[in-house]
Amino acid sequence: MVDAPMPLSRFKVLDLCRARAGPTCVRQLADWGADVMWIEQPPGDGNNFDDSEARTGSDFFNKHRNKRSVTLNLKSEEGKKIFLKMAETADVIVENYRPDVKHRLGIDYEAVSKVNPRIVYASLSGFGQSGPYSDRAGLDQIAQGLGGLMSVTGIPGGGPVRAGIPICDLMSGLLLAQGVIMALIEREVSGKGQWVHTSLTEAMIQLMDLQCARYLKDGEVPGQEGNDHPTNRPTGVFKAKDGLMNIQASTQHLFKRLANSLGVPAMADKPEYLKPKDRKANSAKLSAEINAITQTRPAQEWIEIFAKAGVPAGPIYSVDQTFADPQIKTLNMDPIVEHPVEGKVRIVGQAVKMSRTPQRMRMALPDKGQHTDEILASYGYSKADIAGFRQRKVI
Amino acid sequence: MVDAPMPLSRFKVIDLCRARAGPTCVRQLADWGAQTIKVELPPGGTGVDDSETRHGFDFFNLHRNKRSMTLNLKSEEGKKILFKMAETADVIVENYRPDVKHRLGIDYEVMKKINPRIVYASLSGFGQTGPYSGRAGLDQIAQGLGGIMSVTGLPGQGPVRVGIPICDLTSGLLLAQGVMMALLEREVSGQGQWVHTSLTEAMIQLMDLQVARYLKDGEVPKQEGNNHPTGVPTGVFKAKDGLINIQAATPHLFKRMAVALGVGEKMGENPEYANNKGRREHRERLNGEIDAITQTKTMKEWIDIFAKAGVPAGPIYSVDQTFADPQIKTLNMDPVVHHPEMGDVRILGQAVKMTRTPQRMRMPTAELGQHTDEILAEYGYSKAEIAAFHKNGAV
Repeated sequence: MVDAPMPLSRFKVLDLCRARAGPTCVRQLADWGADVMWIEQPPGDGNNFDDSEARTGSDFFNKHRNKRSVTLNLKSEEGKKIFLKMAETADVIVENYRPDVKHRLGIDYEAVSKVNPRIVYASLSGFGQSGPYSDRAGLDQIAQGLGGLMSVTGIPGGGPVRAGIPICDLMSGLLLAQGVIMALIEREVSGKGQWVHTSLTEAMIQLMDLQCARYLKDGEVPGQEGNDHPTNRPTGVFKAKDGLMNIQASTQHLFKRLANSLGVPAMADKPEYLKPKDRKANSAKLSAEINAITQTRPAQEWIEIFAKAGVPAGPIYSVDQTFADPQIKTLNMDPIVEHPVEGKVRIVGQAVKMSRTPQRMRMALPDKGQHTDEILASYGYSKADIAGFRQRKVI
Repeated sequence: MVDAPMPLSRFKVIDLCRARAGPTCVRQLADWGAQTIKVELPPGGTGVDDSETRHGFDFFNLHRNKRSMTLNLKSEEGKKILFKMAETADVIVENYRPDVKHRLGIDYEVMKKINPRIVYASLSGFGQTGPYSGRAGLDQIAQGLGGIMSVTGLPGQGPVRVGIPICDLTSGLLLAQGVMMALLEREVSGQGQWVHTSLTEAMIQLMDLQVARYLKDGEVPKQEGNNHPTGVPTGVFKAKDGLINIQAATPHLFKRMAVALGVGEKMGENPEYANNKGRREHRERLNGEIDAITQTKTMKEWIDIFAKAGVPAGPIYSVDQTFADPQIKTLNMDPVVHHPEMGDVRILGQAVKMTRTPQRMRMPTAELGQHTDEILAEYGYSKAEIAAFHKNGAV
């Protein structure tokens, strides 16, 4: 493997996040090399989450790799002073409190930019930093409902369906990380930091993309389409002899290839399937015709036939099958980290591959406050100072 | 509004993409200020249904903020023009099948010789190597491979796709992030690199906690309908006049919800529901108990009650309702661009807000080759040369 610095190695990040969305942003920065100091509440200090239950669980483990952990009580004056000292030399601060909390704690962008005008301050909330819902508690499921995703997922008439992942948490985190990276790029020229923010709701709407664009430009309200693509046909789930598979062959080109490999080239010339809008209008009939043929052979046979013919098709995996697939085994999506108690553990890798400065996993989930002393020492605090902080429950 | 350069204003991007995933990456760069040239096939040579869709909502939303030029990369003259453009470009993005760029002789190794600072970004269906890398891969196929269809929808009703092309969108957004990191790293090293991802890798990364469950603990996640895979209660509940989302899975939120429902003691203090593990075990019964109470009031009444009590809850909108919501109206998710023929058109905005260098929409989707002559002139080609390129079919 190439032994180069990672693209974010020169940046220091202070992580004030809880739950999932903020930590997903920070994980992205940490995975790509940033020196992340994860600021946790000292033990026993009113933690709202099922921390104790979850710390050894797969989720916590996957979310908080590559970060050092330091405990700090931001409600104590001493704790806040330590935080502001850390902020002086940090490049990025990420927080996902409810919008008013950072102001109440006195650690908002205005406060921090006074001690460090180069700081990139990133905020993530449920509904945005202002507006009528901004002080409400917003979580993933709520934003899936608000952004309209549940109204376009699932079988028509079957009621709304959530995506089987906390997609608003994940996307808002990934997009905020992108915003932080852009702010750092821009800082190279201007020398100035700035406040960057997003929310679960905004991320959900951006990700709705074409479905929202349909409405915004043409006033068309998208509905549920089950397993079919919202606009392009045939795209969906088809029946093989032994189960289900995906086919996506909606362009003129691919539709012709599909008809050929199904052994019915004439299908592509039928007037009712001639153009994309004809195929959309006669979608049910077209699916039935395709199903009648695909049901004659097992899925794997079809997938090979389609692969040779250049027709996009594939299996519908459960997660264990995903990682058993020979192609997916080549993608390094399950790198290993070593944990002192848990041993070698597979975690979820990064989708993007960089050729000169590749991503590497450096560290498993830290114990709470594992790096408190080492980090405080690096800011010049003495052993006696640190012992005092601990005694006064500042850390 | 702040009149500052956008964070990517100083970068030049050459866009060789087709379909959705690659263009989503480029749109992200273009939206945030990059000077983007969309290189398209000269008229008559296209495999996609361009003519039909150019003014449609999708094309319109996907290709804003890019200038369009035509260039025939299969002609020697056309390729020479691309090389000349690459000398001063910062980024090239392509989403051909992996072998195509090599066959055309425009891969990273070639471009690096012309411009060692170039960031070359590639997006494919299944990765740049491995047994499926030569196959055509599209969104639906990657949704099946990555496992999301096995965790979305109601148990027993068969796999369900998410109602948006989530692999296309996520791979594009992640690749844009990779490009940005490469640009940031280049500030120090002075060198570009090859950055790539695929629909399949992006889907797996986005599966996140669902995949982490399997990788760490061997647990294969299943469909959970509208419930959160692990946090209980999180899901869709019945009000008098329709459905609402509630997410109250932490001990704190669960207690608040029970109080807001008027059963603070009976439900909130029930030892069987004391932790998430217990609530998961008794999920069906608990959800039934909640439903029995929520059915007594309207959606709006409950959402207001929960908002006051600090319990995350909300409506399940169709897209038109999304944009009619008073909070969402404050988020600038539907900015307007002006098109010479279509007038003012609402398109989809960016989720991330930057305070000093905010995003602005500059241009609607260009007509095919609208900027060919203007761009060629910028690279020093004379009027006579440009006329000859047109005549020879190079542009």
